[in-house]
Amino acid sequence: MAFIEIKGLFKTFDKVTAINRIDLEIKKGELLTLLGPSGCGKTTTLRCIAGLEKPEDGDIVIDGQSMLAEGFVPPAKRGIGMVFQNYAVWPHMKVFTNIVYGLKLQKLPKREIQESAARVLELVGLSGLENRYPSQLSGGQQQRVALARALVRNPKVLLLDEPLSNLDAKLREELRFEIKDLVRRMNITSVYVTHDQGEAMVISDRIAVMDSGNVVQIGNARDIYEKPANRFVADFIGAMNFMAGEIVEKVPDKPNAYVRTEFADKLLCRMSEHSKATVKDEIYASIRPEDVEVTADRPQADENCFKGTISNMAYLGNLLFFFVKLKNSMIRVQASHQVSFEEGQEVYLHLNPEKSMILS
Amino acid sequence: MSRGNLFLAGLLWIVIAILVIYPLSFLVIESFKISGSDNFGISNYIEFFKDAYYLKTFANTLALSAAVLITTTIFGVPLAYILARYRQRGKTILTALTLLPIVLPAFAGVFAFIIFFGKYGTLNLVLMEIGLIEKPVNFIYGFHGLVFIQSLHMLPFIVLSLSAGFTNIDPSFEEAAEVEGASGFWRFITVSLPLCAPTYLAGGVIVFLWPFTDWLTPLILGQVDFLPSVAYINIAYHFTDLHRKYMGIVAVVVSSVVCIFLFLLARRWVEKRKYTGLSKGTTSEGRIIEPGPVMKIWAYIYMIFIAVLVLLIPIVLGLSSFSRRWVFEPLPTYWTLDNYRVILTETPLLIKNSFLFSGVALAFGVIFGLPAAYIIVRTKVPGKNALDFIITLMLAFPGMAVGVSYLLAFWENIPLATHWIIMPLALFARRLPYFLRMAHSSYLQLDISLEEASEVSGAGKIRTFMSISLPLLLKGVLVGVVMFFIMAFQEISTAIFLYRGGWETMPIGIYLNWHRGMEFGIAAAMAFLMIVITFVLLLIISRVSGNVLRAAWGSDNK
Repeated sequence: MAFIEIKGLFKTFDKVTAINRIDLEIKKGELLTLLGPSGCGKTTTLRCIAGLEKPEDGDIVIDGQSMLAEGFVPPAKRGIGMVFQNYAVWPHMKVFTNIVYGLKLQKLPKREIQESAARVLELVGLSGLENRYPSQLSGGQQQRVALARALVRNPKVLLLDEPLSNLDAKLREELRFEIKDLVRRMNITSVYVTHDQGEAMVISDRIAVMDSGNVVQIGNARDIYEKPANRFVADFIGAMNFMAGEIVEKVPDKPNAYVRTEFADKLLCRMSEHSKATVKDEIYASIRPEDVEVTADRPQADENCFKGTISNMAYLGNLLFFFVKLKNSMIRVQASHQVSFEEGQEVYLHLNPEKSMILS
Repeated sequence: MSRGNLFLAGLLWIVIAILVIYPLSFLVIESFKISGSDNFGISNYIEFFKDAYYLKTFANTLALSAAVLITTTIFGVPLAYILARYRQRGKTILTALTLLPIVLPAFAGVFAFIIFFGKYGTLNLVLMEIGLIEKPVNFIYGFHGLVFIQSLHMLPFIVLSLSAGFTNIDPSFEEAAEVEGASGFWRFITVSLPLCAPTYLAGGVIVFLWPFTDWLTPLILGQVDFLPSVAYINIAYHFTDLHRKYMGIVAVVVSSVVCIFLFLLARRWVEKRKYTGLSKGTTSEGRIIEPGPVMKIWAYIYMIFIAVLVLLIPIVLGLSSFSRRWVFEPLPTYWTLDNYRVILTETPLLIKNSFLFSGVALAFGVIFGLPAAYIIVRTKVPGKNALDFIITLMLAFPGMAVGVSYLLAFWENIPLATHWIIMPLALFARRLPYFLRMAHSSYLQLDISLEEASEVSGAGKIRTFMSISLPLLLKGVLVGVVMFFIMAFQEISTAIFLYRGGWETMPIGIYLNWHRGMEFGIAAAMAFLMIVITFVLLLIISRVSGNVLRAAWGSDNK
């Protein structure tokens, strides 16, 4: 049974729909990431779970208790801890005071407060910095204070709103694993918001990709990368070649179809399990740059082979990037740095039918 | 560093030396003079701090300052909160009204409130009429009246600085407290208010210093036992008694030292704990609350209450200016245009002087302020911080200190005081920081690459300034220009020491007409005319900057 259940959540800002009746289930102990571009509704969804926004319709159930249907439950009563994008570590309070703010409001005995604070400080690696002011801490340390404050009351749910977006790249990568490790160890149900696909793939058990107020796909990192539900997901996560075309023929008894594109009359592709496209539908034949096979000589395969010219080569150390021009289409290719091609060279492309997806 | 910048900085320093450092040091030297001899010594100061009367005035002034600060804070906190957070219809106009005193001459309020709240003023008469009271209530004569009038005058400073604070708090600071379980009130006390402390203090110190500057309000209310009033009486009325004059100067110096000390203390504290810049990115608009119906009604009542008090000033003065012998009646009964006939036909000189002096002072201000802002923001000329510091310090100096020091300093060695140019010069020195801060902040917003692009394209520094910087600075500078003009226009505490027959300005005219007694209608007409002029000027900047609020305060506190 789901630990957090979001049912038909609906929220508008000044008549613009921010969340368009989404449904979402989050399992106990799971870390789910809401991933999407800015304005997709991910932060609003998180803030609705926190109780910082009041949705117009729908319900949120946390651990069997309704947050909306039976009267609005304020943030403080939801058993949540939250980490804000800009840390929101109060600058006029010391680290210790920041962390125990909520505990003091619960009127817990002093000793218990001390012990809880010491425990979370240890957990996030800030022991000994209790008496510092936030201005005396680095960005990463402030982020840890925010994390400690969110965890100190043993929340049922941890909400993280782009917690790493204000840190520099190196620190961000470090902290990704640290947060993942921490959340795993505490076995705490977490909802994580980010626009960074790399971050989402590292940290999440499952990812919910959002677009214009809708959840377009939910799955683990591999599902989402290898079986994107539509063009938006494929484009947002990783790079993808989109070749506009039309389905001309479906292969009977197989999830395959032939597509006519600008450069090919018949391109054999795999139907995505999410796609309901049929013959004559306008779709995109899609393939990831690293799945395109390029050879100097004609390959053995009998289907989906094309002759083109290399242009715009870029050497990136571990990788080689270039485009292959097929008639008027440019196909992006990512190859190992060990292959040696030159700009202007004529090569053969093989678009493996198993890797070529039909997306709409 | 270019030689041109050094030269420019040198020129500015010469101006500062002549117009600020020289006269103010003259004031200090004068305070050490011992009457009846050519000796110098600290005996005046010893007497000042031993004399029970002077100590009492000192204590009174401190008490008044504290009372005004507390009152403005108590009334200002809810007002600032409503202003910064509530989404409410008609908020803009109500806000503009509550902030109006910032541009009204301080003495305008006193006159209006005497008529309305006086012993046989409108309110008392009405209350007696309907039988609520039998004897008139003393609303304003006394310490409480001073607190009331000065608080209303200084309220905008607190409201503007606090509301800037409330607006600038990153919403997530409060949301974090909400998630942690703090109730609305507790959140306000533990998070919102402390985060506002720096901006509050910046406004609070200006409020606290006002009773050290305002000699006129106590005088009109018959309360002379305050430092600035005592100083004024000693210097202006007893100039033949050298000893009293020196004691007056001592009072001015003591006030100045207190003001500067507190100002610097506040400044240091504010700089030490600037909370801005700690939170990065995200929204900067601040949190907007949709208040519940009950809160909304209270907010309206509260704002209207303050707005009505403020509006009383122009209304009462307006009524009074069109009437004659408005005494012992709730409303005037005899209507006339005589007052206006007098000020427009017999004494147009005052109006002319006011515009002339303020205008010339403004020209000085712009000629000095723009290069000064440039030097401070754009160059690395040594000593530029000291320049900025001295100019900012003028914010804290009581106007009287400037007036008295000019009178003393430009008498024998540099006899400027015999020419009317002394008036605009003094106004310029006194209001220097207002224009500079505004030019300064618009300079900070001007991206340096815009200027660099012009220089790379082959334009010289001056050409770049004229064709790129100035047009881009213009909006901010214009607001500064109008604010400077309004401030110079209503200046009295400096000018009162310097004017001679024929140099009277409108504020001086108002004071003199009140002082001669019974010419209240004329004083009221002049005050009303000043309010109208100020209002027209404000309308002009609100057109320019698109916002009455900002017009009243300037772009600094956005």
